[in-house]
Amino acid sequence: MTPLDSSDALWNLLEHNRNNCEWKLTVMATSAVARETVFALRRQIAKIEGTLPERLEASAGAAPIDANVPSGDATPQNLTIVRHGLAVAPPDAFLRTGAEGLDTALSGGLPKAALSEIHGTATRDAGAVTGFALALVSLILKQGPRLPVLWIGTAEIFREAGFPYAGGLHALFGIEPEQLLFSEAPRLLDALWTAEEAARMTALAAVILEIRGSPQRLDLTATRRLHARAQNAGRPVFLLRQAGEPEPTAAPVRLVLSAAPSAARETIAGPLAGSIGRPAFTVSIGKSRTALPGQFTLEWNPHEHVFKERRIGEERAKNPVPVVSASRRGKDPAAASGAVLAFPAVEPPALGDQPSPRERAAHRRPRRAG
Amino acid sequence: MISHRQGNAQRIAALDERAEALHLKRGMGIADARAMLPSIDVVEADPEADRRLLESLADWCDRYTPLVALDAADGLFLDVTGCTHLFGGERSMLDDILSRFFHQGFDVCAGLAATPGAAWAAARFASDRIVPGGEEEALLAPLPLAALRIEPDVRASLESVGLRTAGAVMAAPRAPLARRFGASLLLRLDQALGRLDEAVSPRLPVAPLSVERHLAEPVMLTDDIERLVRLLATTLKADLERRGEGARMLALLLFRVDGAVSRIAVGTSRPLREPLLIQKLFHERLAALEQDIDAGYGFDLVRLSVLSAATFDMQQADLAGETSDDGADIALFADRIRARLGESAVLKPVAVESHLPERAVAMLPFAETPQRISPPKKPDKMQGTKPVFRPERPIRLFRSPEPIEVPATEMPEGPPMNFRWRRALHRVARAEGPERIAPEWWREAPGQEEAPTRDYFRIEDSDGRRYWLYRQGLYGASHAAPRWFMHGVFA
Repeated sequence: MTPLDSSDALWNLLEHNRNNCEWKLTVMATSAVARETVFALRRQIAKIEGTLPERLEASAGAAPIDANVPSGDATPQNLTIVRHGLAVAPPDAFLRTGAEGLDTALSGGLPKAALSEIHGTATRDAGAVTGFALALVSLILKQGPRLPVLWIGTAEIFREAGFPYAGGLHALFGIEPEQLLFSEAPRLLDALWTAEEAARMTALAAVILEIRGSPQRLDLTATRRLHARAQNAGRPVFLLRQAGEPEPTAAPVRLVLSAAPSAARETIAGPLAGSIGRPAFTVSIGKSRTALPGQFTLEWNPHEHVFKERRIGEERAKNPVPVVSASRRGKDPAAASGAVLAFPAVEPPALGDQPSPRERAAHRRPRRAG
Repeated sequence: MISHRQGNAQRIAALDERAEALHLKRGMGIADARAMLPSIDVVEADPEADRRLLESLADWCDRYTPLVALDAADGLFLDVTGCTHLFGGERSMLDDILSRFFHQGFDVCAGLAATPGAAWAAARFASDRIVPGGEEEALLAPLPLAALRIEPDVRASLESVGLRTAGAVMAAPRAPLARRFGASLLLRLDQALGRLDEAVSPRLPVAPLSVERHLAEPVMLTDDIERLVRLLATTLKADLERRGEGARMLALLLFRVDGAVSRIAVGTSRPLREPLLIQKLFHERLAALEQDIDAGYGFDLVRLSVLSAATFDMQQADLAGETSDDGADIALFADRIRARLGESAVLKPVAVESHLPERAVAMLPFAETPQRISPPKKPDKMQGTKPVFRPERPIRLFRSPEPIEVPATEMPEGPPMNFRWRRALHRVARAEGPERIAPEWWREAPGQEEAPTRDYFRIEDSDGRRYWLYRQGLYGASHAAPRWFMHGVFA
């Protein structure tokens, strides 16, 4: 076995381990023993990977992991891993989102020189996925020099989810049209090639690669190449995957995005009922080397270009309709946090969508008894 | 074997030697020919294919001179002024042309003269002849009138008065000739004799700079071609430096041994003269064209031309010898992407003054100079005051608005209560609007029906997704019910 092969195998093993960890966490988050096992395993991975060991710490002030879970029960759900020895990494290695809870959960923020995955469970979540990615880009541009941003997409995704509209980006994210470059590739292969070439450029502030679904070509190897180039160049590469399944990739962080009801517009007389104000996103940590899976609701402030975390009590009080879980039908990212277990077994009736298999079974039964 | 064409009757258009030996002639009716020889093989003429063949030959003739012009359906003009010494003189150049054509399987008649008219006559009526300057008259005198490139009816009327050779026409007094047969006869005569200049209009624009390399051993491998490009670009660099220019458009011509010519062009977004960068661009282009370029038996002539050049701004290097120019990196990157994926692979949004959202941002191919397609604003009193209200625009816009079904609205002119988009029903939780955008009547062609106005709504559905919908048309304004469209999504 050549050294390259063995390192590949080790990497695969690590990747597998990590996924296993998450899986275990989702299932056994309540059992303290299991959690201990998980963290022992994580420490082991950390040792193999040569990173610093981590410490499990119950942070009192940290944000709850899931906003949907009624707080107050004694289960120590709000556990956060805080990585020791952050000083080893350069202080600007992480992009702080500004939302305390998310930053803490990600142990300092999103890595700046890395590939980061941002998932949307359905194509119609494109607005949330795009908005969150652009908000991150806006944060990067605020800190660094005003370099251009390259947005690469396949023709398919631009057709299905709409072409990014420069007219709307400036008002919301402060990104000038002059700073944007778009590349539309007819095939995924061309998009990947463009992204690989772009990822090693230091003259770009960030590269956004947007694809749809879970194509085979974008496997561990392809993402590792992107990740390595991003690390060398010291620039972030955001991989936006609309309607994609979580798959093993080389990206250290995967965030799963869905839309959250926006905040009401602020007026002098208080919040204006029925208005659509600041955009909000529900961010779940799908994968991270350090974090527990968690879910956060962030609000984007388009005037100051900062994120604000929305706490439980700040949910819109008088919502005319019940807020349904955004990703009710897909692979539920919320399930990763273990919080969905708390939901009643019966799903809310689907609004004109395809009824779930369970509902369909109910349809077949005769309904009217008399 | 005879090809033929339509002329109210099927007639012979061209024929080979064996058919000629059987006493068939051009212009003979096919029915007559068949009556003489029932076994002849007749093929329909294909002028388009002939044209393509002639153009490919013209491409190939580029190796002798950049000034190649097509002449009717079966001739080529090569302006070899100043080129003959490269091939060892006029005679050896002509021999080279004839032998190369012969090896490609063409039977070519060629003539070389100081004027296009004389060369034309020499090629068609005195094959393989080189006419030194000043001897045009001696060449033309014994030739028939057809050698003068005059219209058939003029020729017929000249023959009817007994002037049957060019020499006879030259000897005749000019004034009666012009009066009787028109000025075109004398014009052709003067052009042939060199009394009037005649310009040959070349097929392709002449490149301001080009370098080439003849290869004793044909190359086939892409790597070899790239290395040659680098060598040629190094030669080109000195020329560009002398002119103070950089290349904006480069073409690589690969002449295959058997006569096919591949022409590969790349554009650059800023003037370029660095050989390594030029090689990189052609590397991408060749990688993209790998399937299309057939090396066959190899290329024996490689030429690199600068099709268009622009002033090259010198960059000041710092003391470490490095120029930190991010723009150059991006320009080169964009050029490489475009070389591989096509001209529109890298796009840049440009703001356009328009109310219609789909028209307000134009996507242009990447270019160095940032431009706005709006006329420069006149300084007026309002300058400095920003608009108080800036309408919110989505972050993604569908290229063509997608029709949605709206079963019910709260009020006739209000936002929908729910809508069906891509077969999924969305319940509207909150809505803002309408924002009315009227069509731009000043763009419409007169007589064209006015496009309906659009009322845009910002919608948030029960899952928190935000959309931009519009209703086209008004209720009760026309017979057709208003239609609803999905136009974009918000963050």
